[in-house]
Amino acid sequence: MVEKITSNKSKPNWYQKLPMKRRETLVSYLFLLPCLFFFVVFVVIPILMGVFTSFFNYTSSSFEFNGLDNYIRLFQDQAFLRSLKNTIVLVVVAVPITVIFALFVGYVLYNRKSFTRSLFRGIFYLPVVTGTVAVTVVWAWMFDQYNGVLNWVLMNMGVIQQEIAWLGDERFALMAIIIILITTSVGQPIILYIAALGNLDTAQIEASKIDGATEWQVFRHITWPGILPTTLYVVMITTINTFQCFSLVQLLTSGAPDYHSSTIMYLVYEMAFTFKQFGYANAMGVILAVIIGIFSIVQYKAFSSKG
Amino acid sequence: MANIKSTKKKVFDTTTIIILLFITIIFIFPFYWIITGSFKTRLDSLILPPQFFPLNPTMASWEKLFLQPTLKWFFNSIWISGITMALVCAVSTLAGYVLAKKKFIGAVTLFSMFVFAMALPKQVVLVPLVKLVSFLGFHNTMAAAILPAIGWPFGIFLMKQFSENIPNELLEAAKVDGSSEFGTFIKIVIPMVKSGIAALAIFTFISSWNDYFLQLIMLTSRENLTLQLGLATLQGEFSSDYGVLMAGAALSALPIIAIFVAFQKSFTQGITLGAVKG
Amino acid sequence: MKKVICLLLVCVLVIGAFAGCGPKAPEKVEITWWAFPVFATVDGVSGKYEKELAQKFMDENEGIQVNVEIIDFANGPNKIVTAIEGGTAPNVVFDAPGRVIEWGKAGHLVSVDDMVKDSGLAADITNENVLAACGDGTNYWMYPSSAAPFTMAVSKTALEEAGMLDRINMEGDRAWTTEEFVSLSKDMAAKGYKGFEMFAKSQGGDQGTRAFVPALTGAHLTDSEVSKYTMDTAEGIAAFELIEKGMKEGWLTPSIASDGGMAIKNFVTPVNNTFWCTGLWSPNVAKGNADLMKEAGMEAIGLPFPSPEGTDTSLEYLVNGYAIFKNDDAAKVAASKEFVKFLADDEVIGKETVKATNCFPVRKSFGNLYAGNADMEFYASLSEYYMPYYNTIDGYSDMRPLWYGTLQKIITGEMTGEEAAKYYNTEANKTIK
Repeated sequence: MVEKITSNKSKPNWYQKLPMKRRETLVSYLFLLPCLFFFVVFVVIPILMGVFTSFFNYTSSSFEFNGLDNYIRLFQDQAFLRSLKNTIVLVVVAVPITVIFALFVGYVLYNRKSFTRSLFRGIFYLPVVTGTVAVTVVWAWMFDQYNGVLNWVLMNMGVIQQEIAWLGDERFALMAIIIILITTSVGQPIILYIAALGNLDTAQIEASKIDGATEWQVFRHITWPGILPTTLYVVMITTINTFQCFSLVQLLTSGAPDYHSSTIMYLVYEMAFTFKQFGYANAMGVILAVIIGIFSIVQYKAFSSKG
Repeated sequence: MANIKSTKKKVFDTTTIIILLFITIIFIFPFYWIITGSFKTRLDSLILPPQFFPLNPTMASWEKLFLQPTLKWFFNSIWISGITMALVCAVSTLAGYVLAKKKFIGAVTLFSMFVFAMALPKQVVLVPLVKLVSFLGFHNTMAAAILPAIGWPFGIFLMKQFSENIPNELLEAAKVDGSSEFGTFIKIVIPMVKSGIAALAIFTFISSWNDYFLQLIMLTSRENLTLQLGLATLQGEFSSDYGVLMAGAALSALPIIAIFVAFQKSFTQGITLGAVKG
Repeated sequence: MKKVICLLLVCVLVIGAFAGCGPKAPEKVEITWWAFPVFATVDGVSGKYEKELAQKFMDENEGIQVNVEIIDFANGPNKIVTAIEGGTAPNVVFDAPGRVIEWGKAGHLVSVDDMVKDSGLAADITNENVLAACGDGTNYWMYPSSAAPFTMAVSKTALEEAGMLDRINMEGDRAWTTEEFVSLSKDMAAKGYKGFEMFAKSQGGDQGTRAFVPALTGAHLTDSEVSKYTMDTAEGIAAFELIEKGMKEGWLTPSIASDGGMAIKNFVTPVNNTFWCTGLWSPNVAKGNADLMKEAGMEAIGLPFPSPEGTDTSLEYLVNGYAIFKNDDAAKVAASKEFVKFLADDEVIGKETVKATNCFPVRKSFGNLYAGNADMEFYASLSEYYMPYYNTIDGYSDMRPLWYGTLQKIITGEMTGEEAAKYYNTEANKTIK
């Protein structure tokens, strides 16, 4: 994200009588006008409204200032604490697995025939294009306690004696969500890695192989640094994607059992539209934004120091 | 020595491909199950052991599906995704270009704000967003499911990456020729970032098509639902009828799959060009 | 150049999208009716019957345009809240008191006091509890049309197969004791049938388990004035302990991943597992699932929940009715009231809509709509077991998540039955403000 300095040669023109920097600023903001309009109206203003109302006891029937009460309540609320933990688990587990798996697939595929590459790329992208709601319908059936295929297989193989409520058991519910999340988000990273690996300088790799470097050494010292920018990008979009994971929770478990599979993203919705605690929901939103901010900074720092 | 190594490598390669093929099952299965399930009777779609191929194929589920306002939902989805796509591309190309190529007051601050906002899920501003849209008077209209999505600056980030590839010399040359700023944008910038726009277009279309959350909080009346919402509604109404659900799921998936297959090349190219540069 | 054209095109489209919601020629009063799918569907098309009703009304009232929408039980409740907050609430909703009273208290509804008074409903009501259920003591918020008990059901097919059909009382109100229920449950479990599903995923159908649990030991969910929850009594604790034991011993089926709707589905489609009974049933549910049961080759028998003496059970009941949302347009409110009167009180349509729910009319003057139907006579006989209607209690909607949350805690083993009873009662009482 390096700013590049453009040096323009001046030709007398009406607006070029303005100092260079001002002129550029004026033009730039004209170009930015549409995007700023939407950004301010639909992102900045709602964020300000959200922060403001998070200090209110704001429900469908009342709107009273209550200071930090919502925030204090948050950290005594078991539902929130569980959702917070799950949100972090989701990111900490799903993001690395997605990235490593994508890298693995990319590494296996990048120097194959174009047909093989396209085929696998398409397959891994299939859940993304199928749509989360549609994919969820099938997974809900697979995990179903009494009519689901997973229990049926396991019981017939004698692995389990009793049906397991996959989506209602605190040991499995979040894991189930993570698995589905991974299948619906790994497609794009794979595409990115295949391309990034394909763009690497093959001559350098061949040369070091002739020099007797092992596959691992080549990977560690040539391939990995070469794909680091891609990795940063993949980590970033995967993290964003994971933090947006809402529909899986809402459609599969609704947070059951007892908020063991709830995430903040889901809880905000439930708090607002089931419990009508709007101020409290906004306070959760604020905390979620802070957490995401911290994650972004940590990730950015981690990767820029390595690179 | 070299021989042993290459045989070893071959064995390794074959094994990994076999492992991959095995993994692909869980990626293909949902889709396969949706398609076959939509042709099963409602009891067949429940029965275990599962019928891997419909034994009593029927169109009943599809017929039931089309008794719902499915076509309306379908066109709502197309409109919402299409307009979102067009607006995001226009707005982001303009903004991405100046962020990449212009040195202006506030550029760094603005870009940092965009990057941070990009990561925010809409849940953060759930209630204010609904209130705001309601205040502006277009809750439960298509605009409600479109305009907030334009504000999310992912596209700007992507287009900035693309615009950085434009050689400065070209822009300067245009200036020397007396081209206006907007003229330069139209004649030089857009052709240079065409592949980026294509990628962003497809990307936005798909994510807007699947933006279940925004649609969920913005659209309420049945006629205004999108396919995703309609499908979730069917899940509530037809919980005992997987067949209808599968038909609905198939209908919501097929257009996007068609788009992906048709544009796979420009999609993968575009998406990677923007990202790989870093 | 292409881009400019694109931009222009986009502008036109956006304006079009906005214009779509813009003002239309206000010749007719336009109202919107949202209905939960309580009426039996015609030709399997959801909303078709409702649209026919609206059309009949429009034929008689040319100045009014009625738009109809069906909302489902899973997503509908949140959707209405979203619409209220988004300023796009409908004008008329066909629902039940639980939610309606709350909207009324929060100031979203128009009171129907005048309608209740003008139509002489108080003098004509079949059961005073039903009318009381439609208000908060000060105002009426819902105009009732029909009512029916929530019961449980057993699978006739499964019991026949197991040779245990004779263990069911088919006489009169079909009352049975907890002891009979428990021993039958154990015998059916021994034969591999799945027992009463303690579904606890969400508030969908939670009234089923909430009536079942206290009934088992003769406990009461609330005191008779409905002023506080009373599940921490000896009977209440015993009830929670009994279900804890039942799930551990395997004659009740713990089911966190199912809500009421899924439990009904599991019961009526015994293709992979056979549940011999279910805890969420009503004449309305029976009618709604008649086709599916026929297809799956099973028959169900409705029964009251078991209780210690058999005759001391208590049942929740369903009240269907109409609520009218406030908006600043007096003409719309007036039109909505006309429409509600038409649906509920019209000599022909009123009876027809009651029958379409397969419930009982709230008006005595409608008479017996199901003469000669033994099943419906059974359901009618249960009205003496109606428990005090507590859905209008303050904080009701906050108590519901506590109920299934508590069941979840028992199922996961986080709490014993006794702990759960105390926890539920304490927390539930906190929701009454």
